Amino acid sequence: MIRADKPLAPAGADSGPRTQDPGLLICARGIAKVYRRGSTEVVPLDDLDLDVPRGQFLALMGPSGSGKTTLLNLLAGIDQPSRGSLHVAGTEIGQLSRSRLTRWRADTVGYIFQLYHLLPVLTAWENVELPLLLHPLSASDRARRVGLALDLVGLSGRGDHFPRQLSGGQEQRVAIARAIVADPPLLVADEPTGDLDREAAAQILALLRQLVVEQNKTVVMVTHDPRAATAADRVLHLEKGRLIETALAAGSGAS
Amino acid sequence: MKRLSPRIIGNLIGLAVTQVCRHPLRTGLTVIGVACGLFLFTMVEAMHRGLERATAANPEDRRLIVFREGRFCPNTSRLPERYGGDIARVPGVARVLPTLVVVSSCATGMDVVTFRGVPPADVASTLADPTSLAAWRERSDAVLVGPALAQRRGLRPGTVFEAAGVRATVAGLLTSDEVQYQNVAIAHLDTLQRLARSVGTVTQFDVVVADPATVDAVASAIDAVFAHETEPTRTSAEKAFVAQAAGEVLGLVAFARWVGLAAAAAVLVVVANTVLIAVRSRVQELAILAVIGYDSVAVAILVMAEGLILGLVGGVLGVAAAAVTLYVGGFSLTSEGFSVVFALDAGLIASALTITLLLGLLASVVPAWQAARRPVVAALRGG
Repeated sequence: MIRADKPLAPAGADSGPRTQDPGLLICARGIAKVYRRGSTEVVPLDDLDLDVPRGQFLALMGPSGSGKTTLLNLLAGIDQPSRGSLHVAGTEIGQLSRSRLTRWRADTVGYIFQLYHLLPVLTAWENVELPLLLHPLSASDRARRVGLALDLVGLSGRGDHFPRQLSGGQEQRVAIARAIVADPPLLVADEPTGDLDREAAAQILALLRQLVVEQNKTVVMVTHDPRAATAADRVLHLEKGRLIETALAAGSGAS
Repeated sequence: MKRLSPRIIGNLIGLAVTQVCRHPLRTGLTVIGVACGLFLFTMVEAMHRGLERATAANPEDRRLIVFREGRFCPNTSRLPERYGGDIARVPGVARVLPTLVVVSSCATGMDVVTFRGVPPADVASTLADPTSLAAWRERSDAVLVGPALAQRRGLRPGTVFEAAGVRATVAGLLTSDEVQYQNVAIAHLDTLQRLARSVGTVTQFDVVVADPATVDAVASAIDAVFAHETEPTRTSAEKAFVAQAAGEVLGLVAFARWVGLAAAAAVLVVVANTVLIAVRSRVQELAILAVIGYDSVAVAILVMAEGLILGLVGGVLGVAAAAVTLYVGGFSLTSEGFSVVFALDAGLIASALTITLLLGLLASVVPAWQAARRPVVAALRGG
């Protein structure tokens, strides 16, 4: 278990206004995202509602340009909605200042990228340790947590390897260890298997599934791959900025 | 992220150190650039401080130099040795030391040897340790050498050396802190007079007055005594005399200070350029840190810590190289027999390191601000 003796910070603590619904980790109402590109207004998401209960593995699918990554960025607090309310882990994050949003992210969200995005000059251990450097933990506490995280992703013997010395699947597992090391309630993954072969992809999906089942993490995953989506409890399709619920495939992760 | 605590700041600085160490080529080149700039700056400032020590007047100064009027080089200033008795009788004079100065060159140079011939009985016991002083008094060809001269020429007790037509044996080292004893060889007056074919004459009289407040009055009184002699005198406070004699050095040092400032400016540009390149080449990395939870303050601390580390490491190396060079080289600038010894003291070291820290900080402010303000989503796309 990566879960620490006590959480580094209760989700939403010291981060802003709280919602009252404890069953939902994510509650979006009428959110929209509007960009201006020159004189053109681009609306990748419009009037979108979404509820995600705690401990659910949600897959977001849809064609390119449908707004999947935009929605993921909003849920992860990397970006903010232009309209609507967005409560995540008990906090209305749409109104937070940039610095409070960043602090909230550190406590609440673990982000897994398609291309892993490990820092190349740091070892696997140091990459996993990065989120913990923002917490006033002792070196031994940090070491214990990093060790647990690497152990959980099956890379306890690779801590001193640099990213260039790891396979794609191993890099992604290090990225997952980095995402979970601070014990956030929400993991967001942007096509986490998009750059992996089938076997490595299956291992990553199994790992995400394990985090949901064993640690009650809430996972929101963007994917193009229908096979990957079967690992999820629930699949939503984004079409032209709107969400459409999809029936689960047989043998999905929920079954 | 929690509010910044000393431990978190320490973590961020540790991460910056790791980043700097893991880019050895970039770090090495930058550190070398900073070290070269700080080396030059420290050398020039050491020269400037040496000049200040030699020429800056102090209200407590009690020393006068009596020189031949209208002459500036020791080789041309000749005064009868008998003037010493007349000077000693001037009211306010506490001590008179007749001195014959022989220099290897009257021009400004960095390896000029200055012999000062003085009566053995009149040499203060504080100038050298008793053993060296006794050895010097026993041998008429013996000299006591200043530490800068000894270091530069590799002189030790027993060494025989020759300069300005004088062959001398080193009896010991001078231990005085006074500037004008750092780069000289103290010889027996009669020996030097014989070798310089100046028996009965000296170059100057070193005078100590009883009351510092009477320095100007005593100087005027001394010159008045000899005003109608065939060899009239010009008496000045020692440091004013050195400042006048070392006029060429003053100009040189003033110019060199600009070179030192240019070196400091170059350090600023080198560090700023490196940090800016580092930040621009790591747009995505910094965005990933932002996604992980590094807010703009944390990112700014990381970037500025890199600038500070590069500046500090380069600065320490540059100052250390300057210290070693000055110690081994024993550098001094001598003009007309008066020396400006390069002075590297704790104050200069502290100033140089403070400057390099400030430059490192200043150089990384703009890159840090740019990195901290960049929108995360755009930066993740590599923009």
